[in-house]
Amino acid sequence: MAFQSLAGIGLRSPHVEEMLATRPAVGWLEIHAENYMGGGPAMRALERLRSEYPVSVHGVGLSLGSADGLDADHLERLARLVERVEPALVSEHLSWSIAGGAYLNHLLPLPYTEESLAIVTAHVARVQERLRRRILVENPSGYLRFEHSTLEEAEFLTALAQRTGCGLLCDVNNIHVTCANLGGDADAYLGALPAAAIGEIHLGGHAVNDADGRPILIDDHASPVAEPVWRLYERALARFGARPTLVEWDTDVPPLPTLLGEAAQAAHRLDEAARGERDVHAA
Amino acid sequence: MSTLRELQHDVRDALLGSAEATVGEIAGDGVTPAARLAVYRHHVLTSLTAALEATFPVVVRLVDQRFFRYACDAYVRAEPPAGPCLFEYGATFPDFLAAFPACRQLAYLPDVARLEWAMNVALHAADATPLTTETARALSAGTLESARLALHPSVTLLASPWPVDALWRANQPGGDGVVDLDAGAVDLQIWRRGDDVAFRALAPAATAFRRALADGGTLTVAARAALDAEPGADLAALLREALDDEVLLDCTR
Repeated sequence: MAFQSLAGIGLRSPHVEEMLATRPAVGWLEIHAENYMGGGPAMRALERLRSEYPVSVHGVGLSLGSADGLDADHLERLARLVERVEPALVSEHLSWSIAGGAYLNHLLPLPYTEESLAIVTAHVARVQERLRRRILVENPSGYLRFEHSTLEEAEFLTALAQRTGCGLLCDVNNIHVTCANLGGDADAYLGALPAAAIGEIHLGGHAVNDADGRPILIDDHASPVAEPVWRLYERALARFGARPTLVEWDTDVPPLPTLLGEAAQAAHRLDEAARGERDVHAA
Repeated sequence: MSTLRELQHDVRDALLGSAEATVGEIAGDGVTPAARLAVYRHHVLTSLTAALEATFPVVVRLVDQRFFRYACDAYVRAEPPAGPCLFEYGATFPDFLAAFPACRQLAYLPDVARLEWAMNVALHAADATPLTTETARALSAGTLESARLALHPSVTLLASPWPVDALWRANQPGGDGVVDLDAGAVDLQIWRRGDDVAFRALAPAATAFRRALADGGTLTVAARAALDAEPGADLAALLREALDDEVLLDCTR
């Protein structure tokens, strides 16, 4: 079954019961892989939901950028989950979280160097081989950059996609946040990504905090999608075409209808983008 | 210039280190490298603290949230997670609390934490089909006696000198928090039946019976352990009770 360019929501535990009871109209659901690697009621609820909604498995803990190497046990757990859930999409992040045996529960930044590219390329290739499928790799939110980086983030992702055949998950909010924090141009970033490789788009809220007396944007997924991010999303759709789009809200999780309302706003823009594509083909 | 591996180990140490800690390769760009790294450190510490708060809500209530966060700050830095599944993080938190000088006067606290950890383990334990009364009845007496029975993966047996079951109940939302600490020791079984996590107190024979099975003993061995604990224990009733709890697995094959 081809996975359509619909709007979905990140499935969060406070919403599971209501989802099961009301089965609202939403295009698809995304789960965090690491929340479903045990047994018990969480997995049983997911088994019921996946019979009605396409599911995407989004990993947050594989640490594709760890120079220490991939955690083989964790990859096996992911493989078993993917076999069981049969998701429409599988994705992970361009980041690292594990060093010296400690899992730091954050998507930590990489220096964009040939050394990093070789490590991430080898890890993505191994994951795709084990899962026997293509994965999508997501751009992280950035709060710092390393002085010895030699590649732009978009260049790095493009090279990764070329070398491994992986797709890209374009998080529009993360592009906005990273460019604001590190002085980049969000449109130039979008323009540098290979449109054909984009398999999914993420949207989410961010906060504005203070660092050393200067504003810094924090990708906290704790609020509605901000206006500038909606505008950037529209430009991303114009450049890439309609893509499956997910709204994430992880902290201070709102009532389910609020989250569904955000997804409906994304769906409206997806409809317009699809109509635009049809007009182009008809002309 | 350091290798990526060296850089990641430096960043790890700085994230788990002091507020001023930083790493040489971070660009300033108008905000100091230390302030940029602090954004990451804040998320590392608060998100892992939030995970522990979700796993140990009664401990939070007993020590109040501010103290809990203070303890978590020290715990996360000393014992960060070993893997990415956060429902598996916190197994050593009870022992950490036992050795944490600032709450040493709350002698019962580590066992309350052990109870909450056992409930967390039960919630996320692997699914397994328990041996039912009907299946057990269908086995011949000889087969049953030599059968290799095991406990369901969700089961924890917890012995405490404190009434931790009463402490847990009194500190649920709306509870009055009042507990008679002299009520004495308990032997608890914590487990998941269907989707529901539960705990209950066990008699000495029932505890000995389950512990022997958990150690790999046959039913005959477990029966002997039960009789050692309580001479005259009703063995048929012990087996029936364990089957009713749905805590036994048949691992003979």
